[in-house]
Amino acid sequence: MQRIRQDGGQSTAGVAVMDRSGAVKGRRLFKAERVLALQAYAFLLPSFLGLLVFSLIPIVAVAVISFFNWGLIGQPTFVGLKNYSLMFGSSSFWHSLLLTLYYVLLNIPMQTVFALLLALLLNQKLPGRGFFRTLFVVPWMATAVAMGIVWQWVFDPQYGTLNTFLSLFHITGPAWLSSTAWAMPSIAAVNIWQYTGYNMLFFLAGLQGIPPDFYEAASLDGAGPVQKFFTITLPLLSPTMFFVLVTDIIGSAQVFDTVYVMTQGGPGNATTVLNFTIFQQAFEFFHAGYASALSMALFALLLIVTLIQVLFFRSRTIYDLS
Amino acid sequence: MTSVSTELASSKAVATEREARIRSFRRMPTYVAAYIILILGVVVSLFPYFLALMTALKAPDQIFSSSAWSLPHPATLQNFIDVVVKYNFLAFIWHTLIYAAVLTIGQLIFSTLAAYAFARMKFPGRDQIFWLYLATLMVPNIVTLIPLFIILRTFGLVNTWVGLVLPFVLGTPFGIFLMRQFFLTIPRDLENAARIDGAGTMQILFQVILPLSRPIMATLAIITFVQAWNTFLWPLIVTDTGDMRVLTVGIAAFQSNYGTQWNLMMAATFIALGPLLILFFLFQKHIVRSIHLSGFK
Repeated sequence: MQRIRQDGGQSTAGVAVMDRSGAVKGRRLFKAERVLALQAYAFLLPSFLGLLVFSLIPIVAVAVISFFNWGLIGQPTFVGLKNYSLMFGSSSFWHSLLLTLYYVLLNIPMQTVFALLLALLLNQKLPGRGFFRTLFVVPWMATAVAMGIVWQWVFDPQYGTLNTFLSLFHITGPAWLSSTAWAMPSIAAVNIWQYTGYNMLFFLAGLQGIPPDFYEAASLDGAGPVQKFFTITLPLLSPTMFFVLVTDIIGSAQVFDTVYVMTQGGPGNATTVLNFTIFQQAFEFFHAGYASALSMALFALLLIVTLIQVLFFRSRTIYDLS
Repeated sequence: MTSVSTELASSKAVATEREARIRSFRRMPTYVAAYIILILGVVVSLFPYFLALMTALKAPDQIFSSSAWSLPHPATLQNFIDVVVKYNFLAFIWHTLIYAAVLTIGQLIFSTLAAYAFARMKFPGRDQIFWLYLATLMVPNIVTLIPLFIILRTFGLVNTWVGLVLPFVLGTPFGIFLMRQFFLTIPRDLENAARIDGAGTMQILFQVILPLSRPIMATLAIITFVQAWNTFLWPLIVTDTGDMRVLTVGIAAFQSNYGTQWNLMMAATFIALGPLLILFFLFQKHIVRSIHLSGFK
């Protein structure tokens, strides 16, 4: 069978249109290309309509509002770039930004490693793995409000589970959620607890997509499990890893629920991540314009971070070993 | 596959099975270690629920008179009964079920189509449009909810099922991204072989792509369903009638300015959790695909 060009295109890849002399039949290709493009647009149409009306337009609206002062009721007043200059000059903005980055760094690496480990374990033919898989995903399944409250009980300095447990080892635990140093890590811990099982699902699906033939071939060549992991598993998981990292970082940078329920940004401003600040500005102080500017800043940050990830993964992602 | 190669494949499978069993005996210590890790993980994952369960089993007066870790004394199911009978939670379950099911079906249909287009079809603007989809994920949704609500209100869709569902039922960038990444890993040889045989795009989609995509579609279905089940802010904003109230809003209602009814809230949380657990346990088998593929040698 002729080798097909790996260019993602169908332009000359329709093998049927290559005759013996290798000449490419121009007109037929052009029509085929057009038909395929129209098909593609048809496939995209429903989601694009939804995106346009319910995503793009609101986002543009937010961008526009950022140039106004608006108290959510009454008329907005145009203020040009004032919200932005306020924002860049505000130390609490930079503080929020750094806190958000700190949170992402606390959260994502550990979550990803645990999730991968669990997925690798539960991909084996261990008895009871369906049972374990279900149990690990359970933390993700309860409502954020209820779980936030329960975790507050766990972190309670005097009667909480954690400090009681630590006292068995004669360790006096800190005041977790009321401690400036430990508040953010505590919230990160809750998030890791909640989302590890969820990420495990993606890695499981990705692992299932790796044909076992590759491992068999590697075994025949005498490869050990560690070698197999780094030369087969990890590279073939790279599309999954890319997805997990991009979506988790985007989601993590927008953390709100846990902070709102557990610390309300406190103690002091130890946990005022950017999304929480946005919420406060919009719905507690009624500065919708400023909140919109903050949202644009978070958007810009995530755009940059995602771009870095795309560039990193571009040369390293193997989609198909055939 | 011919019958000869089928025979060869099955006898090879038997031999591999025997080898695997021998190997597994030698790997006992690794198994023990694996189970220790797994059990530790389960304990960590579940202990908060244990706490919540104990609270759900306590009578109101015991909640405030002792610490959260004391055992229910006496244990009572009255909270669960009250939540279902007095607070109308069966209706909330029904509403949430409709909402989650509709969103899941829509997601599976429309996101799959779009994802296949991005993964395997060539058309002008493909990568730019995909970036546009991705970019919408990066804007925090707290403030975008305001214009979104205004749009719904303009079209008279507030407090309607259509309004509740429409922004998310036509597929989401998240679902499209997920499916696209998976579709990219499907070997092109399979599709090219089908094209040589004269298959059109829809045929390839249904006969080649979809059968291979069971794990990822099961994953997407579970994620969409659970996310929809647990979504709070959106239904809170769009609906304010009891006819459409969902579980999350119902649970949050146990918190008020007069104090929180912890026992009822925890009981309701478990009632909300139950259907999810059942559904998940049923569906998680599909994330495991029995690997009989040797079709692309």
